[in-house]
Amino acid sequence: MLGYVLRRILSTVPVMAIVAMIVFSLLYLAPGDPASVIAGDQATPEDVARIRANLGLDRPFLVRFFEWSGQIVRGDLGTSIFTNLPVTSLIKQRIEPTLSLTLVTLILSVLVAVPLGVLAAWKVGTWLDRGIMALAVVGFSVPVFVVGYVLAYLFALVLDWLPVQGYTPIAQGFWPWIQNLILPSIALGGIYIALIARITRSAMLDVLAQDYIRTARAKGLGQTPTLFVHALKNAAVPIVTVIGLGMALLIGGAVVTESVFAIPGLGRLTVDAILRRDYPVIQGLVLMFSFVYVLVNLLVDISYTFLDPRIKY
Amino acid sequence: MVRLDTGRDSAARVDLPPVWPPIRLRTGVWGWIARYPSIALGCFLLSIMLVGAVFAPWLGTVDPTAIATVKRTRPPGAEYWFGSDMLGRDIYSRVLYGTRVSLLVGFSVAVVASVVGLLLGLVSGFVRWADGVIMRFMDGMMSIPPILLAVALMALTRGSVGNVIVAISVAEFPRVARLVRGVVLSVREQPFVDAAIASGTRTPVIIWRHILPNTLGPLIVQATYICASAMITEAILSFIGAGTPPTIPSWGNIMAEGRALWQVKPFVVFFPAIFLSITVLAVNLLGDGLRDALDPRGQKDR
Amino acid sequence: MTFSRRTALKGLGSAGLLASSGLHAPAISQGVAAKTLKFVPQSNLANFDPIWGTQYVVRNAAALVWDTLYGVDDKLQPQRQMVEGEEVSADGLVWTFKLRDGLKFHDGEKVLAKDVVASMDRWSQRDPMGLMIRGVQNELVAVDDRTFKWSLKKPYPKMLLALAKNNAPCSFVMPERIAKTDAFKQITEYIGSGPMKFAKSEWVPGAKAVFEKFADYVPRSEPASWLAGGKRMLVDRVEWIIMPDPATAAAALQSGEVDWWENPISDLVPLLKKNKNINVDIADPLGNIGSFRMNHLQAPFNDVKVRRAVLTALNQEDYMRALVGSDDTLWKPVPGYFTPNTPLYTEEGGEILKMRNIEAAKKLLAESSYKGEPVVCVVAQDQPITKAQGDVTADLLKKIGMTVDFVATDWGTVGARRAKKDAPGQGGWGMFHTWHAGADCINPAAYTAIRANGDKAWFGWPDVPEVEAQVTAWFDATDLAGEKAAIGKLNKAALDSVVYAPTGFFLGYQAWRKTVSGVVKGPLPFFWDVSKTA
Repeated sequence: MLGYVLRRILSTVPVMAIVAMIVFSLLYLAPGDPASVIAGDQATPEDVARIRANLGLDRPFLVRFFEWSGQIVRGDLGTSIFTNLPVTSLIKQRIEPTLSLTLVTLILSVLVAVPLGVLAAWKVGTWLDRGIMALAVVGFSVPVFVVGYVLAYLFALVLDWLPVQGYTPIAQGFWPWIQNLILPSIALGGIYIALIARITRSAMLDVLAQDYIRTARAKGLGQTPTLFVHALKNAAVPIVTVIGLGMALLIGGAVVTESVFAIPGLGRLTVDAILRRDYPVIQGLVLMFSFVYVLVNLLVDISYTFLDPRIKY
Repeated sequence: MVRLDTGRDSAARVDLPPVWPPIRLRTGVWGWIARYPSIALGCFLLSIMLVGAVFAPWLGTVDPTAIATVKRTRPPGAEYWFGSDMLGRDIYSRVLYGTRVSLLVGFSVAVVASVVGLLLGLVSGFVRWADGVIMRFMDGMMSIPPILLAVALMALTRGSVGNVIVAISVAEFPRVARLVRGVVLSVREQPFVDAAIASGTRTPVIIWRHILPNTLGPLIVQATYICASAMITEAILSFIGAGTPPTIPSWGNIMAEGRALWQVKPFVVFFPAIFLSITVLAVNLLGDGLRDALDPRGQKDR
Repeated sequence: MTFSRRTALKGLGSAGLLASSGLHAPAISQGVAAKTLKFVPQSNLANFDPIWGTQYVVRNAAALVWDTLYGVDDKLQPQRQMVEGEEVSADGLVWTFKLRDGLKFHDGEKVLAKDVVASMDRWSQRDPMGLMIRGVQNELVAVDDRTFKWSLKKPYPKMLLALAKNNAPCSFVMPERIAKTDAFKQITEYIGSGPMKFAKSEWVPGAKAVFEKFADYVPRSEPASWLAGGKRMLVDRVEWIIMPDPATAAAALQSGEVDWWENPISDLVPLLKKNKNINVDIADPLGNIGSFRMNHLQAPFNDVKVRRAVLTALNQEDYMRALVGSDDTLWKPVPGYFTPNTPLYTEEGGEILKMRNIEAAKKLLAESSYKGEPVVCVVAQDQPITKAQGDVTADLLKKIGMTVDFVATDWGTVGARRAKKDAPGQGGWGMFHTWHAGADCINPAAYTAIRANGDKAWFGWPDVPEVEAQVTAWFDATDLAGEKAAIGKLNKAALDSVVYAPTGFFLGYQAWRKTVSGVVKGPLPFFWDVSKTA
């Protein structure tokens, strides 16, 4: 098993290398010119050219790629063209809100979706099942920003129950922190809940169709909760898998959610950086998000060995 | 969308049982609808959108880009059925013409991503030395969250419908390649393919006779989900200002322009949002239905 | 910067915590809230070097942190600020300035003449007026700790205006070691001698910037007026919260999460006015002038008839409504280039902008060299002002029968592309949109956009000797009548050859909660004299 874990960890290295290559070449090709943005509206073309030379934007591709790769390996993601701050420190400043949002969404989604999926599987074929699954399809189909604005309007402006926007660091207390995260998490969680609920339902049905469960049923366990607890344990692998894969949705959705709710996180940093063509920041962020995504799915893979003793490596 | 059959090195391959199990078998059109209610509903909603898109010029619309700043932000009424936007453009016309963009992007991405993914998947499944290279590259691309990849690609180029299609297709096709490769590898193990290879059948023939028919089912289902996902991605790209150009009315653009006024003029965002949600819903329903209909395992669960 | 929030809290702790018992924590936090002003700026503070970057938002933040030698008051007259007094030789060639006593930088060091000399040297490399001074400069030297001397080869009568003006870049004074930075590289230390310190450790570009009261600041005794007078800070802390989405900002102001919003979009103003806790008023009476520029070097706009055809058809009302919404008190047509309601405003030669005649435009276009080639119109989508104007222009060109190649892009790309002199098909451009603060357009001093010196002119490179001659005439004018005569001729010449197309004059709003008092109208938000009750 240890061998398997090591192999999996090692297998992420070439993946990350390829990601790095893709990310660098993508943004190298970008036509926008940060130099003229920096120079401002009153700058002369000479100003722009001088700024470009100062930033090293006029050097050839390979020189810049190898320099960049070397920095990455040393944990240096470069310096933002706009803020003149290290990209790593920009990420550090922004990571708490995004981490909070993602974690709260994750917990909320699992807490809502798994019971819903189990319920649907339990009542399979009934209107309750169909209702839940219909909701899941709708959850997939309504864009996250629409949900966001509806929630903000209803719960923050009309009812005045929760703050409209912003983020309070957890250091200032749990309640202020969570207050700011409830609406964004629900908005962001919609699609994730739909995904997890569906997988839970189908994984449960798969397990319930297994011979040993049929036997247990025949022995009189029937539709008891105990049976479902056992079945859920056995359905854990696909559920955990989808939670891992769904991280991509969560990361993508965070970009939009953070814009809607003015959360100063990595998603907003990404949008700002792209609009301003701040190459080092875009590169650093895409690389970091991909790294997190790979890491989460690595953990998911490793978790199989604990979740399902039948899987041997 | 539900991208579970991506063939990652995971132990789990999940098949979804039918979401809308049939109630009773009937015959004729109604019987078909009763057997595949989700396909029927999806097709019905989608064809309404399609009719709207194709016949937009004859459905009481005006030039969707005509500016009339004196009549800006009028609420829905007799003159402007869905209201007018910040430049006095007719939202009904814009939304209806926007259907074209959304459907075009959705379908094109589905087709482009499927074709590219299919080709790469076939090469990967048949050419051993290429397999490693292609799949490592696909792994890399799939490790970048699709929306981020699409946004980064759009930052490269000027906004146009074509570029949006390319960007989203690039973000989507690796998953198709993975799927196809998986099917190829599993079909290759089948005795009848072994027999065909042994008897000297040429590879193209094997692909045509044995591989493609087996790929088609999962591929169509995957393509449907890609279509839905592409429409949402297009809206998100336009919403954050990295999508279709503003001269072309697309739902994402209309919403992006209306979002600042959300509190005072909600109708600007409301109509495109409803249309987008319904269309994506229709495609998702169709995908679910097709999956149930095309997946032979679906029968077992009943 | 060593100052952190922890030190700030420690300071508060000794003042407030000791006095009250620990049980009354809420009361203290309320007290803190009243001393913290939360402000939503027009855009993100992405960089913070007011000489290197000339965006308005950088200038506005910099005005808190760095002080200037002179400052304009609300009548746009230069007044002494850091300077105690000045002397100019009879021939106008030698200026001697003496600094006020007791000026200190945020790191505790005294402000010395050598700091000023280094700062002015850096500033004059980037500022249009500074460059003019540099052009006639003999030497700029520190005489003693508080005195410095600026000697010139030729008199420069607008010296004090150059040092006092509110147009970016302002002549901010930095410590010598920071001011020694290359004028084309960003500074990394943000230490000034202004009324607020910049809390660098709390700066999150794209989200937040924090300023803390500088205890050792000595305000002038005169009452504050724009950049002049005593800059007395009545709050301990100013937090800039960046909100790219106007709807979110409006919601935050309504719910009291922020106190002051620099630029609410006019469509949301009715909503804010309905709220009894919110004040809404015009932000800057000097407003803004909308603009699009045509490329004088390339077809089709190298033909003055084509440019005039566009101007003949142009309806400023369309642009203004698209920009400011349905409120007609917020805009007015400007048949010219200068800010309405300022001394030099003129309508001379402005008839062409009053025509709004599509047919006449079509006729003019038919007589011109235009052959139906596509006009490359580059429009930044991430700036509401350029976006709205671009949509209207596309419609306008279509109406007069021109083919439009609409390039929707971001402000950064527009910045890059507009600098290219190539043909539109080879990476160049035909037209782009922008705007100018009305404060920049009151006279030609800092008005780069009106210049028409060909290759050296601003993007679009108009070459109109008559315009340049009148700019010189204005600089040389000694009285208002002379200035007015020059500006009248300038306006006409510029419209005749269409240096650029003005799309109208518009005002913006600002909104603040009623707990805040002391907000004034001006070309930038002034934080001195602003107070807040909890």
